[in-house]
Amino acid sequence: MHQTLSLIPALPLAGFLILSLLGRRLPNRLVALIGAGVISAAAIIAIWLGISFLQAPPDSGAYSVELWRWMSVANFNCSFSLHVDALSLVFVFVITFVGALIHIYSAGFMKHDRDYARFFASMNLFVCAMLLLVMADNLVLLYLGWEGVGLCSYLLIGFWYETTANVQAANKAFYITRVGDTAMAIGFFLLFRELGTLDIPAIQKLAPEHFTSGSPIITAIALLLLAGGMGKSAQVPLQTWLPDAMAGPSPVSALIHAATMVTAGVYLVARMHVLFQLSPLVMSITAVIGALTLFIAGCSAMVQTDIKRILAYSTISQVGYMFLALGVGAWSAGVFHFFTHAFFKALLFLAAGAVIESLHHEHGIFKMGGLKNKMPLVFYTFLAGAAALAALPLITAGFFSKDQVLWYALSANGGNPLLWIVALLGAFITAFYTTRLMLVVFWGTEKTHVGELPGRLMTLPLVILAILSICAGFIEWPHNMLHITLFSDLVQKVLPPVVEAEPVPSEALFQLIAVVATFSGVFVGYLLYRKNTSIIESWKQTPAMVWLRDFFYTGWKFDELYNILFVRPFVFITQLNKQDVIDKIYAGIVSLFQRLNGIFSVSQDGSVRTYVIGVLIGIIFILALQLIL
Amino acid sequence: MTEQQLMALLPFMVLAAASIVIILLIAFRQGHTVIQVTGFLLMCLVIFAMWYVRGVLPQTIAPLLIVDGFGALFTGLIVFCVLVVGLFSYIYFEEREENPREYYILIFLSTLGAAILTISRHFMSFFIGLELLSISLYALIAYLRTRNNAIEAGIKYLVLAALTSAFLLFGMALIYMETGSMDFAVIAQRLNAAGKSSALFLTGFGVMMVAVGFKLALVPFHLWAADVYQGAPSPVASFIATVSKVGVFAVFLRFCQELHLQNNSAVMMLISAVAILSMISGNILALRQQNLKRLLAYSSIAHFGYLLVAFLPGNNTGVEAAVFYLTAYAITILAAFGIIILLSPGEKDADSLSMYRGLFWDKPFMAIVLTVALLSLAGIPLTAGFIGKFYVLTAGVEQRAWLPVIVLVITSVIGLYYYLRIISTIFADSPVTIQKERSLNQFFYTASYAALVVLTLLLFGIGVMPAVIIQGIKQFLVIDR
Repeated sequence: MHQTLSLIPALPLAGFLILSLLGRRLPNRLVALIGAGVISAAAIIAIWLGISFLQAPPDSGAYSVELWRWMSVANFNCSFSLHVDALSLVFVFVITFVGALIHIYSAGFMKHDRDYARFFASMNLFVCAMLLLVMADNLVLLYLGWEGVGLCSYLLIGFWYETTANVQAANKAFYITRVGDTAMAIGFFLLFRELGTLDIPAIQKLAPEHFTSGSPIITAIALLLLAGGMGKSAQVPLQTWLPDAMAGPSPVSALIHAATMVTAGVYLVARMHVLFQLSPLVMSITAVIGALTLFIAGCSAMVQTDIKRILAYSTISQVGYMFLALGVGAWSAGVFHFFTHAFFKALLFLAAGAVIESLHHEHGIFKMGGLKNKMPLVFYTFLAGAAALAALPLITAGFFSKDQVLWYALSANGGNPLLWIVALLGAFITAFYTTRLMLVVFWGTEKTHVGELPGRLMTLPLVILAILSICAGFIEWPHNMLHITLFSDLVQKVLPPVVEAEPVPSEALFQLIAVVATFSGVFVGYLLYRKNTSIIESWKQTPAMVWLRDFFYTGWKFDELYNILFVRPFVFITQLNKQDVIDKIYAGIVSLFQRLNGIFSVSQDGSVRTYVIGVLIGIIFILALQLIL
Repeated sequence: MTEQQLMALLPFMVLAAASIVIILLIAFRQGHTVIQVTGFLLMCLVIFAMWYVRGVLPQTIAPLLIVDGFGALFTGLIVFCVLVVGLFSYIYFEEREENPREYYILIFLSTLGAAILTISRHFMSFFIGLELLSISLYALIAYLRTRNNAIEAGIKYLVLAALTSAFLLFGMALIYMETGSMDFAVIAQRLNAAGKSSALFLTGFGVMMVAVGFKLALVPFHLWAADVYQGAPSPVASFIATVSKVGVFAVFLRFCQELHLQNNSAVMMLISAVAILSMISGNILALRQQNLKRLLAYSSIAHFGYLLVAFLPGNNTGVEAAVFYLTAYAITILAAFGIIILLSPGEKDADSLSMYRGLFWDKPFMAIVLTVALLSLAGIPLTAGFIGKFYVLTAGVEQRAWLPVIVLVITSVIGLYYYLRIISTIFADSPVTIQKERSLNQFFYTASYAALVVLTLLLFGIGVMPAVIIQGIKQFLVIDR
């Protein structure tokens, strides 16, 4: 068991090593076979592990294995150990399973790219790092995985590095997540200073004894960890990198910027829930940030014209739901939403990639249209994903998870009506922009000629993900419907159950309101983009609406704000210091030694006379030294 | 002399016989190849003899010599260096104007001198060994006598060596006057009995330091080094840089160990001062040097400054550090000179830095070997030089010799500049090809290449697994205790 545990991250690592060292010499077929094969093998092991975990849960609640001692300095011990409990298991399953499907899809999607091996090598490394992140037994190893996924994200966003914009997008993602990473590292340092350990089980045991609830230090630590999670998970105000990150290939967006990496923040908060529970203030902040994010990003998603940017803003918004759930204390609801979201959002990105590829790299949705009959398979799978995203009741996975989040935003101990209203508004917006996307892309008249249709390698993952987008929710039903709570039973081995506020309002009523909101979103979308398109035309003449559209389109002007707040002052300072004052010191040292070299070289004039004088001076020097002493 | 004592001297007798064998071969008009091969085999025989007699060590051959683990270790290092130098010499002299055959007589005589230094325990053997080493060197340096530089270098070395030898004798006389003996052990006893060391002894030691400092090219007796390295044929320069210095350092180390001079603050002060001056001037002089051979000369000045830091503690760690450092240094410098020798066209040596511009694109193998050697000289991790420097630093820190240690660190940084400068030249574009016609004898080319590969692998091997070498050194050093 222990050895198989280490195989899960080791296989992708092996794939990375083989592909990065030999990739250029291998035929494409073999590259794909290795790249997708190792992930599939890891997925099979993970599933097998999951089954045995469910059948006979280990006594300690987790499988763990210490591979080797990493470092041991004074009283700081850090081992390279893996620890898989129910929470990690969910993440490991999603990473390997969805990862494997995306790798298979990529084998078809990237087949014309000349850097085929580099793509698979980076993807494999990403999976390895992501697995380390969720399987880490201590925060140092988690940090290794955390930085590893950041690196791979950077490499893959800038995968087509010949275009400057792609490189800039990669840089932007790297810088902005770095803000969060730095905060998180400081949080780790504080935690180590307080508890003297970075082992996650030890922290979970020690923290409640060591910290008093709501003390400034625990608030600071939790806040710093939250900042780290916000950076990786693109939460307001660190969300601006994700829409630009769509510069990478579509499978990258599906794997990294939808299914896995952007949910690392969710994992971190859930994993460190003990610390967050000790600070009610930070819990509320988490919930508020989640709510704000889901609303801000949802608004932006309504007006985007690039199919991938719509999905990117939608991702930010959905991760906002997860943060909201975590913030109100509905831990399992947050993780459940991650679980379903991974399927339908990966599906949407992959299907969007197929559309883009068939339309000769066309990203604009208004240049698409009429694809319903031209690409039926992509249409039906996309429809399944969109329905899940819009959370159509009872028939989609998205409904089951989002319903929980909405319900707990109101009824959980940390929830309140305001959060619920924002979340409800978000549900409406989500349904609206999803409908808009579907109608514009798949209905109407054909505007761009459809080229090559996706092959079987690409459609198979779409179908599997579509099935999961529909069915994955059936393992967890709302309390008032069926009593099936498989998912929360599993993760509540690790995460505390929700504490509901008293008195509990009637759940069915609020469910009905949510359903109404969803359907009205769909209806408004239908009204504006299918039934009566003249309304939009009239809005285009109204200055206020145009301004609002522009405001949403540019992501609430966050980029401009940061430009004024950070970029321009920085550029100003660098301009002031154009001469580089600090460098003067080093220039001084250099010229000092050059001069010394000149002085010393005088003695090397080549005449024996001087050399003899040198020897004599030496003798006098030695004798004088002896006499003095 | 007992049979066992005779046996202990066997390697040295083989070494002495080597010169005579070469003379006989010349008398019988044998060619360069025969002499080279015979010389190589004889050196192997010396090593074999040393392995053969290991059981009878240590042996004191009163009053002059002592063959112990310490001596065997240094002699082994010397013979190893001569093996490599000899191999490189074939190609070098085969392409030169001079008849190469007498060269080997001189080399082996010189080696004998250095070997005797490593086992001497008496001023007499010290002086004889040193002169044996020096006198052969005068001729060796000026061996390519039609070249101006060579003659000039030879004369300079002769004048200065004679001057400093006079000082050595004077210093010995002063110490003899004070203690009434020339035997290291007896001197130590007498000094111990007297308690405090007298001014006369200190003066004597100080004057002796002139000769030692001259041979090791320590500041302020270093001025000859660059001219001689430049003027001498490259194999001879590498010989001076390795064999000659190892021999002199060995006897100096033994002398100081025997007399427990490390406990003598005045002596230590003197040595620290010399070490600091050497580190600083060696590195600064090398900064803008454009001639690779001169640069290596300056670098060796600095390196022996580093070595003296290891020497300061005077305990076992210090000796181990010194031996380790010398081994690493010798291998490195041989690799660097090997490249110079192999690249040198017939009429002059490949010593100008401009000749190395873009070497990597033309001769990648040579460029890589030279780069590795330079990185090792600079003390970059994974090379032998790094471990050597680390070891030296450890020894220095243990002794709390802070000032030399700090100077070592700072000057190492300065040193990095000129090593990296060469490396950047090697990898620069616009390759200038060094025109060199292939030698007639392909076999020796292959052998030299093989030797370079072995040296490079050793550099990495020692850098990655220093424990093996350190264990070996410790085992040898135990023999004399």
